[in-house]
Amino acid sequence: MENTLNDALSLATDPPVVQQRPMLAMSGIAKWFGANQVLKGVSLTVAKGEAVVVIGPSGSGKTTLLRCINLLEDYEDGIVAVDGEPIGYFVDARGKRQRMGERDLAAAREHVGIVFQSYNLFPHMTVLQNIVAAPIRVRGIPRAKAEARARDLLAMVGLTDKEQAYPVRLSGGQQQRVAIARALAMDPKIMLFDEVTSALDPELVGEVLAAMQQLARDGMTMIVVTHEMSFARDVADRVVFMDGGLIVEEGKPEQMFTAPRTDRVRQFLKRYNDRYRL
Amino acid sequence: MKTFAPLLHSYWYLFRGAGMTLLMASAAVVPATLLGVLLALVQVFGRRAARSAVLAYLFIMRGIPLLVLLTFVYYLLPLTGIDLPPFWGVVLVLAFYYAAFMSEAFRAGILSLPQAQWDAAKSLGMPRYLMLRIVIFPQALRLAAPPFISLCVNLVKATSLVSIVGLWELTMASREVVERTLAPFQIFLGAAFLYFCICYALALYGKYLERRALVGH
Ligand SMILES: Nc1ncnc2c1ncn2[C@@H]1O[C@H](COP(=O)(O)OP(=O)(O)OP(=O)(O)O)[C@@H](O)[C@H]1O
Ligand SMILES: [Mg+2]
Repeated sequence: MENTLNDALSLATDPPVVQQRPMLAMSGIAKWFGANQVLKGVSLTVAKGEAVVVIGPSGSGKTTLLRCINLLEDYEDGIVAVDGEPIGYFVDARGKRQRMGERDLAAAREHVGIVFQSYNLFPHMTVLQNIVAAPIRVRGIPRAKAEARARDLLAMVGLTDKEQAYPVRLSGGQQQRVAIARALAMDPKIMLFDEVTSALDPELVGEVLAAMQQLARDGMTMIVVTHEMSFARDVADRVVFMDGGLIVEEGKPEQMFTAPRTDRVRQFLKRYNDRYRL
Repeated sequence: MKTFAPLLHSYWYLFRGAGMTLLMASAAVVPATLLGVLLALVQVFGRRAARSAVLAYLFIMRGIPLLVLLTFVYYLLPLTGIDLPPFWGVVLVLAFYYAAFMSEAFRAGILSLPQAQWDAAKSLGMPRYLMLRIVIFPQALRLAAPPFISLCVNLVKATSLVSIVGLWELTMASREVVERTLAPFQIFLGAAFLYFCICYALALYGKYLERRALVGH
């Protein structure tokens, strides 16, 4: 694992990686809640097809970071680009940072799928309606085509027989898989997952993680905030550790979990291992 | 039965009065609802100045008894030179008055939706009008249905006040019949029964809406 630093450096010089523009580029994101600065200039780049897992103690700013990407949360400094296109803020010709208009913002958000801890399905719509609503109304896809795609996605997450069910009739794990299908139906360029299994009963966690693992294998670019270290180890191309509103360390999962460079990560993993006896 | 039987034709007269009551209430409830939704939207999404204006309006409407407002407009309207048939004048007063209360029901419905619903809609790239139309309103209206229905019941009962400015409806009809027949007990019992039927039907409908809302959630 000594060559991790070299790996990191080569990442910056390797021609194929550099020439391909990153799928996500966040730079210098700073966010205050009142007087409390919760993001202290976070920069993160995610390559196309890369699965990045974000770990870190509670309150370190992981959720806030994800929400800033598509401006669900406003932030005071920094900019974000998805596939080279700005989202939320852009820098104008005079170098001034400007907020996008609502219309452009809505259009930019189409490309970012986000799945929340609390599923957030629309309770007055069936599973199928939940999935096709935005593709039809936002992207203008014909209903028949949108429904066919929705059924494919439901098959992928193992919910073929549930398309006419209302969300209340589903288990948490099923709702969360519908939420994943709903986000995927927009054909996003990147998927964000915020502790999507932490509200689930332990026996339902596996089915949701399996769907996400499949997605990563299929080459989806994704950022996954999770406390599931085994998922991080098995699925992540890169693990990012956040603490106090900063990225403290990042690296390949093997390196992070076996030979962390910083004390903060060591402590965090030790506490985690003590708790879960891994 | 002896005391009621001779009054049968009078009951028919009351029935027509009830029809007028219903007509007046229906005519008022439509603009009241539209204005109520509009006021609620301004309160939730409007700019500061617009919000303050709406708040002032609600404050005034809530602070004035409907009877006073009716009488005031009845005497004021002719002075302004606006030539409005009394029926429509009364309908408008009812509408403006009840819109203030309805807007509160709609506003509460919109605001009681969790932030998460907005987040989910936004993250799917929905522009604001679409988000409101397909995600927020359908849920907010269901939440607002029970208080809305009870306001409709109130509105029906409030039409009884308009006899004070000389409009003919169920209460006025009852008073006329009482003057003729000198049977206040039987007549007002009949009027009360008719009011009750209208309001009870509305309340049942409200219960039905409420039950339907619960199924979706
Ligand atoms: N709406 C809010 N208003 C004020 N402070 C907030 C708000 N949301 C989050 N915070 C604060 O911002 C900091 C970062 O919160 P965030 O939810 O991003 O952390 P997290 O890393 O996701 O934690 P967890 O692992 O518990 O989900 C915390 O100190 C939190 O108290
Ligand atoms: Mg969080």
